[in-house]
Amino acid sequence: MWSYALKRTGTTALTLVAASIVVFAFIHVIPGDPIYVLLGDTATPDQIENLRHELGLDQPIVIQYLQWVGHALSGDLGHSIFFQAPVLSVIADGAETSTLLATITMVWVVLIGIPIGVIAAVRHGSWLDQGLSGAAMLMASVPTFWVGLYLILIFAATLGWLPSSGYPSIFDGGLGNLRYLILPSLTLAAPNAALILRLTRASMLDVSREDYVRAARAKGIRPWQVVRRHILRNALLTVVSAFGFTFAALLSEAVVTETVFALPGIGRLVVQSILRRDYPVIQGIILVIVVIYLLVNLIVDLTYRVLDPRVELQ
Amino acid sequence: MTSGLRLLTRAAAAIATVMFLNAQAGAAGTLRDATIGEPPPLDVMLTTADVASVIGRHIFETLYAWDSTYTPQPLLADSDRVEDGGKTIIIKLREGVLFHNGKELTAKDVAASMVRWGKFGARGKLLMDAATSVEATGKYEITLKLSAPNGAWKNLIADVNGGLVIYPEDIAEKAGNKPIEPKDYIGTGPYKFVDWRPNRYVEVEKFDKYKPRTEKSDGYAGARIAEFDKIRFIPVPDVGTRVSGVQAGDYDYAEMISGDLYDNLSKDKSVQVHRSNAPIFGLFFMNSKEGILKDNYKLRRAIQTALDKSQALRVAFGPKDLWSAEGSIFPKGTAWYSTAGVDGYSPHDPTKARELAKEAGYTGTPIRLLVSTNYQAHYDEASVFTRQLADAGINVQMMVVDWATLLKMRGQAEQWDIFVTHHGFSPDPVLLTFINASYPGWWDSPEIKALRVELVNSSDQAARKATWDKIQALIYEQVPVMKVGDAYTYDVASPKLTGLNPNGPAFWNVSTK
Repeated sequence: MWSYALKRTGTTALTLVAASIVVFAFIHVIPGDPIYVLLGDTATPDQIENLRHELGLDQPIVIQYLQWVGHALSGDLGHSIFFQAPVLSVIADGAETSTLLATITMVWVVLIGIPIGVIAAVRHGSWLDQGLSGAAMLMASVPTFWVGLYLILIFAATLGWLPSSGYPSIFDGGLGNLRYLILPSLTLAAPNAALILRLTRASMLDVSREDYVRAARAKGIRPWQVVRRHILRNALLTVVSAFGFTFAALLSEAVVTETVFALPGIGRLVVQSILRRDYPVIQGIILVIVVIYLLVNLIVDLTYRVLDPRVELQ
Repeated sequence: MTSGLRLLTRAAAAIATVMFLNAQAGAAGTLRDATIGEPPPLDVMLTTADVASVIGRHIFETLYAWDSTYTPQPLLADSDRVEDGGKTIIIKLREGVLFHNGKELTAKDVAASMVRWGKFGARGKLLMDAATSVEATGKYEITLKLSAPNGAWKNLIADVNGGLVIYPEDIAEKAGNKPIEPKDYIGTGPYKFVDWRPNRYVEVEKFDKYKPRTEKSDGYAGARIAEFDKIRFIPVPDVGTRVSGVQAGDYDYAEMISGDLYDNLSKDKSVQVHRSNAPIFGLFFMNSKEGILKDNYKLRRAIQTALDKSQALRVAFGPKDLWSAEGSIFPKGTAWYSTAGVDGYSPHDPTKARELAKEAGYTGTPIRLLVSTNYQAHYDEASVFTRQLADAGINVQMMVVDWATLLKMRGQAEQWDIFVTHHGFSPDPVLLTFINASYPGWWDSPEIKALRVELVNSSDQAARKATWDKIQALIYEQVPVMKVGDAYTYDVASPKLTGLNPNGPAFWNVSTK
């Protein structure tokens, strides 16, 4: 177990180094320049060159990379060109929103996806199964911006039950501010709950054909106990793997939802920073997202063993 | 009642209380403006980004400000006199004006700001290139000496957008060419900077020691009274969300609403539509430095002859209320309105265009049209024109990039033949970007060179108008740019708001009914 964990950590570090090079090179290779965006369309070549020099963007790219890595190793991801603030604090501010959004979304995904998936599997082939599977397909197909705009129209503009957009931090206004995340999390949960629903259903159907399930039924164990103790527990292995990816993906996937609901999250921050070529922020965010991905997947891999003691880690 | 149910009831009560308190906080005097996005640094002297100007206008002030007819009126200035045939400008400042840090505004602050603006300001060179000296000639008197008179000097220092805003002397001197940092956002405006939370809001609050002018408010000029205690500028990139937010009462004002919603919103009682009084206009710049269009004026005229500008405006802006197929660079009703050359504005004659192109020696070489999708209107206009030009046998190759890439590429003359942008309303021709020879497009023919000097150096309005007529005629002859037409942007506001500024979003003097 420990040697496996060490090996995985080593791989994670190497992946991180490779990712940092790719991210840095990629963002500096694409055309465009933050100075032009910053100064606007009347800036003269002299003004552009002066500011580029001032911000250190006229140095060779390798030097810029080494400086960035050097600072990153000491925990300093640089200074945002546009926000005029440390990248870490900009990311931390966005991370609060994204983490809470992803967590609440996962709660919806679990509460909706798994029970309905179980029902669809248990009633396999019935009209209920067909209806639920059809609804899942529909939810997975409808674009999130459409779902989001309609939720705003109904629950904010028409009924006035929930705020239409924005998210004041819970550190500013308390837990009551979580109501700002209800509509966005439902929007983001719709396609992901559909995915988990279908995965749960398929996985349960696979497991239900196993011999030990047949044996359990032959022993006369109550049908719901067979489902709960023998089928669902084993089927969840696949579903939990998907949770890892889904949760990590939500952090970066939420761009559209964050834009529609004007949430100050990481997804929107990265798109906006790419459009403005705010290099330090883009590099910092992608690095953080890569770290989160790697960590979440590491945790998921290690969790297999807890869920199923038969799994051997190598 | 079970303990679980009790907990749930308490949680619901707590949320309801928070919602009530938040609603009360809104009612206590915070105006919430949904802007189109996150601003760049609010050092408005350096940037021409409108989203920064809207916020910066509340914090920083200029010596003059435009009234509702876009005539410059004194703001921080008290009076002025011009000597030496227009080459010496002496401005007397208002006394007792305080910065947000409590220090009094003096001529030294103005001099330091003017020097920085001349070196690094987005529009500073238009005036300050000809400056021989800037001097505080008294505690409240500043003297600017020029090598040649500039008839547009007052207009050039009457707006915050890339303009001469007045910072405290130490801040202006320390900043140099780097954007001023938020802790140094110190101005003299009716609101002072409080906080900038990335992607959440920029907050300003009423400056209690603000000393308003005594004249009646008019556009950006006259008295500025902060009615709201605070203003929050909240970036809301999606237009549908901005509108829904005002309808739901989450925002009091939302900027830049799309044309397709105009008809519905005009009838919607939950919002008031606030249309700008000053149009913006799309511009297609021709490359006068390199390439197939460099000095081939006949080919440029062939291109313009093929176009139906109304069609492009309809596609880009929608309802007729929001656009006008106007050939004059300045709209009707302004002092600079001119009909010179406008016959060439939108002939939509593909046959004649084909003949002209042939006479110009055009053989079907692709013309590279650089356009960005960040502004949907630019892309729509470019798409319509590309189709119309194909009908006249003119082969256009659209190069679609994002705005940041376009800004860089357009500075590289070898990369493009035409690029698309738009221009805000200008109260003086000197402020038009295409009159500036160093602006991408680089229009600097001998004819415009001579007329430019004539326009800048004269202080007589009638003479300047006559020169402008000649310049507009030259624009239609040499076609350095093609004007698409006038477009009127609009915002929506809560019906409760009164005193909205006709010039654009500026929230002093705005209150609730």
